[in-house]
Formats: sequence, structure tokens, C-alpha cells
Amino acid sequence: MKYLPYILKHLRKNWIRTLSTILAMALCIFLIGTLQTLLRAFYGGMDRTSTERLVIRNRVSLVFPLPLSYEPRLAAMPGVKRVAKVNWFGGGVPTATGAPDMKNFFPNFAVDAEPYLTMFPEYGLTDAEKRAFLDDRRGALIGPDLAQKFGWRVGSVFQLESTIPPYRVGRPFEYVVKAIYKVDRQRYPNHSGSIMLFHWKYLHESTRQRSQVGTYYAQIANPTQAAAMARAIDSSFENSDAETKTETEGQFLAGFLALVGDLALILNSIGLAVAFTILAVSANTMSMSIRERRKEIAVLKTLGFSSTLVLTLVLGEAIVIGAAGGALGVGLSALLLSHAASIPGFNGFGAALVLSPALLVAMLALSAVIGLLSGLTPAVSAYRANITSMLRQV
Amino acid sequence: MAAVDVQQVRKVYKRDSQEIVVLDGLSLEVPEGEFVALMGPSGSGKTTLLNLIAGIDRPTSGKVLVAGTNLGSLSEGQLAKWRSRSIGFIFQFYNLIPVLTAVENVELPLLLTKLSKKQRRERALTALKVVGLADRYKHYPRQLSGGQEQRVAIARAIVADPAVLVADEPTGDLDAKSAEEILNLLQTLNREFKKTIVMVTHDPRAAERAHIERHLEKGVLAHSVTQREAMARA
Repeated sequence: MKYLPYILKHLRKNWIRTLSTILAMALCIFLIGTLQTLLRAFYGGMDRTSTERLVIRNRVSLVFPLPLSYEPRLAAMPGVKRVAKVNWFGGGVPTATGAPDMKNFFPNFAVDAEPYLTMFPEYGLTDAEKRAFLDDRRGALIGPDLAQKFGWRVGSVFQLESTIPPYRVGRPFEYVVKAIYKVDRQRYPNHSGSIMLFHWKYLHESTRQRSQVGTYYAQIANPTQAAAMARAIDSSFENSDAETKTETEGQFLAGFLALVGDLALILNSIGLAVAFTILAVSANTMSMSIRERRKEIAVLKTLGFSSTLVLTLVLGEAIVIGAAGGALGVGLSALLLSHAASIPGFNGFGAALVLSPALLVAMLALSAVIGLLSGLTPAVSAYRANITSMLRQV
Repeated sequence: MAAVDVQQVRKVYKRDSQEIVVLDGLSLEVPEGEFVALMGPSGSGKTTLLNLIAGIDRPTSGKVLVAGTNLGSLSEGQLAKWRSRSIGFIFQFYNLIPVLTAVENVELPLLLTKLSKKQRRERALTALKVVGLADRYKHYPRQLSGGQEQRVAIARAIVADPAVLVADEPTGDLDAKSAEEILNLLQTLNREFKKTIVMVTHDPRAAERAHIERHLEKGVLAHSVTQREAMARA
């Protein structure tokens, strides 16, 4: 610790260079932290899937519906406990022009509420809340984040306009908030607080019974038989007008997410490229800084500073830059994510955008490692440098 | 016992395929408490000899003993530790660390000791007092004159109380008045603090302050006992 003031004084000497390197490092850590959090949120649904739940959709594509007549057939299949219809509504709060406001988009589904909520214990509701929702055809169940964002309370009335043509009926759908579900972060850490559910019946009736079923969710008795059950379901609808594709909820989400490409690969590649660039920038800065101080290093060694101590001092400088940049980057990332709900386009992933402690530690460790690596070459050069040749060169 | 005992030292540098002999079987003995001036033309090997005595370079062959320690027997780490305790080096261009104040510069060698922060500061201030710069302890090198910078460098050289001071043209970058002050200071350190001093210089007036003058020519010591040496021996 007695060498820290010495290190800090050197960093202060070229404060513009030090500050710009710290800011570059902070930007790198900020980007990596934020992108990783978004990625985690995006793929978070995978973690909260249940192998008890099967998703049945049209084999051709998710955009093609399934007939209503499949429901009793599915419910009658051995091993199926309950079936719920689930339609992606794709609605947004209507703007002045009547078009849905997609900047403040949030996931909303029309569901068979009773079986659906039984299948999904993730939605924390009291019996009274559940009953209130079930009893109102226009009732909406909303997440706490939506309540906070839009200022909705139980009893609030709001409208949604869908982006999906069959659900556009010439006027927006009107809902009454009947309950705000609770999110148990201990049991379901990735469950979103931004989902809205309403009654499938309301959708069906409002579209003059033209709407069909987007997907069926089936809860099965024995999760170990999920694959066999999926095969059995699909074979029972073989050669029909609407053949099915049945998957576990996890497989379904993975396939759905794959529609946008390999987001993890893209974002991780960006993160890696940024980290590598910053490493190069920091290494260059450190090399310049040490090259300018060759004489000083020679003097330190003459005074009796060992080569190892000189190496440590150089690495110390690099680590201080890395740590400062890392701390700033983590701070910026946490700040942005804490305000993410109020930033348009940032809340559509469903899961809460929170910098996890593990990611926070990883970001700080990464910044220290980048700092360490950036200082390695000049530090080794200072370690190896011969006193007399350095004094002669200057 | 001799403070410095250089025995049959050869120093050869290799430049490409060429071998350049800088010191050729040189021997030199400096008794404890002596003030020796090494003179000679450029390229005669004065600074190389000084570097060998200071333990910042190693001879190709031969032995260098300083304050009883055979420097050739020490590893790089041991040699660094030895330098921090036994040698005070004074450079021609002062070589103070620009981002540190005068007292922080003087304190540098003490960072390698187990002294507390307070003790380090006290010793550094004492060393600055010896060189007459106690009132400038907070000044940065850029705020000091050349002579003052060299005095701070001398304070840094003596702060760890080494037995031997080596000075490489300590007045080479100074005006006549400042050079005079520095030479007076070195004389004081030699007389009153009993420091053995080996000084490389081109300046005959500086050399006159030493008890002994040694002249180097092409890596060989030309033995020259001055009157001052004879007087000192008497």
C-alpha cells in the first residue's frame, strides 16, 4: 500500500491520457455488462420453463393457428392433466393516431385463465385476486412493473390495440385491471413483472369468433414422458389440415428465440470485440507511459528497487486504471438498467433487467484482467530492462 | 579495510560482432572515508567503472568488492537490496522523479525499508536539512533550480546512510556557483559524515576537491598520486 501514492501520482501526471483510458475501459465494461444483462433477460425465459408444460403449435409455422376442435381431443389424451389456449395478442397502448405504441411495448397474451394460472404458479395471486380476475370477462392481470410504468392500479381501465390483423376489430380492446400478480424472486428469479394476461374468451368474442388458437399449452402428469407425449400428440393430428408440432416449453422458447438469430453469439462477439479493442488501447497507453519513463525506471533500479518491484509498480498502474474503469462501467450499467423500464424499447424482453451479483463480479474481474494484460508487456520490459543501457539511451 | 576494492576488472561490450574493451584489467583501491576523483577523456571507461562500483553493472571478469561485499557473488535481487543500503548514486542530470515533491523524492529509497511513514518523512526532512533545502521540501523538481535539484538528489543519495557515494559528473550540468555549492556539500559529507566518495568528473576544479585523483586512459588506470593524496596519507 505504501507504493499506492506513487502509482496515483503517475496516473495524475498524464491525467487526460489516464482519464481517456479509464473512460474507454468503462465503456467496454458498461457495454459488456449491459449486453449480458439484456441477453440474460432475453434468454431468461428458458430458465423459467417447466418440463411439465408442453406447447402445441401449427407444424407449418407459429403464425398459422390451430382449430378450436383440438382442445377436447388434447384434454382427453392420457397423461394430459389440463389444456389452456394461449394467443399472442401483440397489443400496445393506442397512440393519438390509433396505432399501438410499440415504443412502450410489453408482452400480452389471451389465455384460458383458469387452467393457465394453475399451470403457471409463477403468477403470485391470492385466491381473492384470482377470483376477481376470473370473474370479469374484460379483466386483465398485470405485472407489478407494468403497474408502476403506466400507473395502473386495480380498477384502472386501459386499452390495447393489436398489431395482428385478425385482432384489429376497428376499435381498441378495453380492459379493467383486476389483479396485479406478485413475482417471487426467490423461487422464480427470471419471471417477468411486465406481462399482461386477459381472457381468451374476450378475444374470441370480440373478433366475432373468428380467432382461432395460437398455441395450446398442455400440462402433463409425468414430465419424464414429455418427449413421448409430444410424439403421441403430433401423431394423433397427423394428416389433418393443421398438423401440430409439440415441444416442451423450453424447446418452444429456444425455437422462438432462434427466429431472431443467434443473439447470444452476436452480442458475445460484440462484447469480445470491444474487450479486445480496449485491451489494445490500454496496452498502447501503458506502453507509451512506460516508454516515456525509461529513465525513471533506471533510477528506481539504481536506488535499489528490484526488477520484481518495478514490474509490480507498472502492473499496479495498469490494474488501477482497469479497476477504476471497471467500477465506472459497472456503475453506469447499473444506472442504465435501473432506469431501463422508463426507456422506450428496453422493456420488451419480459424479465427484470438487473445486474446480477455474479455478472457484477465478472465485470470487475474482467476489467482487472484487461488492466493486468495491458500492463504485462511494458511491465515485463521494465522488469528486463538493463539499468546502464536505459541510462545511456536517454 | 578498503571501502572499494576493484581487482583486475575487464569490461567488454559487444556491438554486433565487434568486441569493445572498455576496462582492461583495471585495479583500484579506495580506502574508507576517502574522496576520489576519476578523470579521463570521454570513452576512457570512467562511468563504466563507476557503474561497476555502484553495482548497476557487472564486470566481464575480475572482482569488485565494496564495503566488504563481493558484488559478483550476489544475485540480481540481492544486488538491488545491497544497492538500497550501501550505495548512494548521484547522477549528472539529477534524475529526480518529476511527479514527486522534493521530500517524496528523498523518501524513495526509504520505501524499501521497514520504516514507518512518519519515520521515513522525518529522515527525508533531515537529509534535506543536511543539504540546506528543508524549506523547499514541498517543491516539485520543476520548481527548483539545477543546483537545488542536485542537492535534492544528494539528499536522496544519503538518506539511507550508505557507506559509499558515487557521483557521475555531479557538477556537469551546473553553473559555476551551483557547482561550487555542490562540491562544498560533497566535501562536507566526506569530512563530517565520513562518507567514502568516488566521483567521475571532467572538471579539474571539481577534481581538486578530492583527496585522490585517478586518471583513466583507454580502460587502464594511470597511477597518479597527487599532493593531496600524499597529504592525506600523511
